Amino acid sequence: MIYLDNSATTRTLDIATQAAEKYMSDNYFNTGAAYTMAVSCEKDVNAARERLAKAMGAASADEIIFTSGGTESNNMAFFGTLLPLREKGRIIISTVEHPSVEETAKSVSELLGAKLSFAKVDSNGKVDLEYFESILDSDVTLVSVMQVNNETGAINDIASIKKLIKLKAPRALLHVDGVQGFLKVPFDVKNCDLYSISGHKFHGPKGIGALYVKKGTKFAGGQTGGGQERGLRSGTLNTPGIMGMDAAVAFYLASKEALWQNMSRCKMHLVNRLSEIPDVVINGPSPQMSAPQLLNVSFLGVRGEVLLHALEEKGICVSTGSACAAKKQGKSRVLNEMGLAKPIQESAVRFSFSPFNTVEEIDATVDVLKSLLPLLRRFTRR
Amino acid sequence: MEHVLLIRYGEIHLKGLNRPFFENKLINNIKFAVRGMNASVKREQGRIYVSGIADEDVEEAVKKLTCVFGIHSVSPALCVDVDYNTVKETAFSLLPRDEESTFKVYSRRSDKSFPMTSEMINRELGHDILENFPNLQVDIHNPQIGVYVEIRERAYVYTEIIPGAQGMPTGTAGRAALLISGGIDSPVAGYQMAKRGLVLSAVHFFSYPYTGERARDKVVDLAKIVARYSGPIRLHLVPFTDIQMTIYEKCPSKETTVLMRRLMMKISERIAREDGALALITGEALGQVASQTLESLCVTDDAVSMPVFRPLIGFDKDDIVAIAKKIGTFETSILPYEDCCTVFVPQHPVTKPEVKKLRQSEALVDFEPMIEEAIKNTIIMEVG
Repeated sequence: MIYLDNSATTRTLDIATQAAEKYMSDNYFNTGAAYTMAVSCEKDVNAARERLAKAMGAASADEIIFTSGGTESNNMAFFGTLLPLREKGRIIISTVEHPSVEETAKSVSELLGAKLSFAKVDSNGKVDLEYFESILDSDVTLVSVMQVNNETGAINDIASIKKLIKLKAPRALLHVDGVQGFLKVPFDVKNCDLYSISGHKFHGPKGIGALYVKKGTKFAGGQTGGGQERGLRSGTLNTPGIMGMDAAVAFYLASKEALWQNMSRCKMHLVNRLSEIPDVVINGPSPQMSAPQLLNVSFLGVRGEVLLHALEEKGICVSTGSACAAKKQGKSRVLNEMGLAKPIQESAVRFSFSPFNTVEEIDATVDVLKSLLPLLRRFTRR
Repeated sequence: MEHVLLIRYGEIHLKGLNRPFFENKLINNIKFAVRGMNASVKREQGRIYVSGIADEDVEEAVKKLTCVFGIHSVSPALCVDVDYNTVKETAFSLLPRDEESTFKVYSRRSDKSFPMTSEMINRELGHDILENFPNLQVDIHNPQIGVYVEIRERAYVYTEIIPGAQGMPTGTAGRAALLISGGIDSPVAGYQMAKRGLVLSAVHFFSYPYTGERARDKVVDLAKIVARYSGPIRLHLVPFTDIQMTIYEKCPSKETTVLMRRLMMKISERIAREDGALALITGEALGQVASQTLESLCVTDDAVSMPVFRPLIGFDKDDIVAIAKKIGTFETSILPYEDCCTVFVPQHPVTKPEVKKLRQSEALVDFEPMIEEAIKNTIIMEVG
């Protein structure tokens, strides 16, 4: 099998599986318990928290809350900051956010009676800064923008977004959904107030993630109960998940540049070899400018899902759009917001790489594409 | 005191000498529906009684029984000794203490040795209820609560008459094969015909890679829902890509849909014969789409010699949706997976095809080897 759907999820690293297993079979203690074994578990979790804080560029480990993943982190970012405000205000999100941001923004704005504005994206899928500036005002309480777009790999200019907010909406907090970007694209959390990550997007286990909340941010936290995570997210700590994710973080930190290069090499090799196939369009920013793990391509004349199933039959996994949107038929909201023509949207396929993909796998994929496309293209709607 | 489910059946009463055949089928289907619940099922005086079900399972049993075709209605009743005071106390236990409501007592005395006539029971029990339930009033024309008392060898007391699925007992009408697509209509068509006592086979055509695994799972799920009513369905999944591609390449573009329908009918007929089915069932409604005009239906009928049942032929889409919602297939039907891929649908399909012309178009290709291949590679599964 050639797995090119690493933005949906990744294979858990063996060292991450082993780390998780250790905290299920041997060190299975509740970090809240009083005996030495449990205290030692708690220390391990805090060391992992330190490492994660460092990986994000956070000032302190106290700024990290462990969660169940990206969706929970995004939910918590909205509810945790907006509920304590006791005012309506206005929320801004981009038009291409993940459903866990968009749906949460909608429900929280309905709940509070807050206004919800949408920041348009340009033809590359990046937030249009000029337009963004034009809708910023002092009534804005929260801005949420993704670091890397999950369908095109477009990287938002978070530093400039932060500057504009400081200038025109000084009270507003900035939340960045870093689920696709964390460890893949350089980022410093000091440029934002809240940052969401998810372990399984970088070869950690599923069911674990984190939310960064900048020190001094008025924050109400998520679920209530036993008061874990400084009272901000109750529930017995998911030590296997935390330690599994920690192993993956450590792996990335040790050789980040080399891993990026591996992904980039595969991506650029695919880009180059796709030039051998006629009627291929690369969507989003130019491949050198986007996140190294993502490439969105339209093979004109073949519907994306048909190509997906045909590739699947040859043992190659890709996706149309994001997995969270894959069940919604037809067009991609992201590509639509970028203003792409319908035939391009309908024929779009997303390739997403891991550092473990090889150039040989890309060659094999292109060979399969070359053999499939002439047949598939013969059968198009007349 | 014991819980008994009292079952009334409808149309079977009209049967003559073969009435026991229908009744026995119905009893078997009822036994199958409540299997594993330790129930005993017996027929008496035009009723079926299901007893022995534990209190906590009664609700589940009623739910299952309302899916059994041939049942007119079900009443969960309390079965007690034939004694007025016991009957009275039992009736009290079924009535609300708090809400304001109206009631009427309906009694029937089959056991004429019981000293009170039906009329006397009505009056006496009505009186006792009024005295004990200040929140209840009598309304003999339009009561909100009916208090039903039946005096037989035992006394039955109940307040609910829950409508059943009606129709004829499954298995009393033979077998037919349903063409099932994954849309809203075909599961409803299968339901409607199963309701008349048919056992179902089902035939689904899939076009990998034009349709995916999830689209196929969806059809299996739909068949499972229909099977709650119809009993187990033998589902045939037929690979159809090669035939579709050939039609697309070799036959006139306007006619692709109707030709595809003809070939689906042909394959279904052969599968039906092998399954012992005597007819085909489709979800077509007159005029709904181009392949469902009268002319198109004539052309598809021409492809087979078996009778083709189209129970939805005179239905509006709204009516079909209403039934789909009632039987629980709607939510699954509208899941957005591709079914018969739109790649092969012409922009402007012919709406008034002629039988003669379509026969000619079909003859452009020798489909026989492809039909045999498709049938050979068909996946068969028992669902439900």
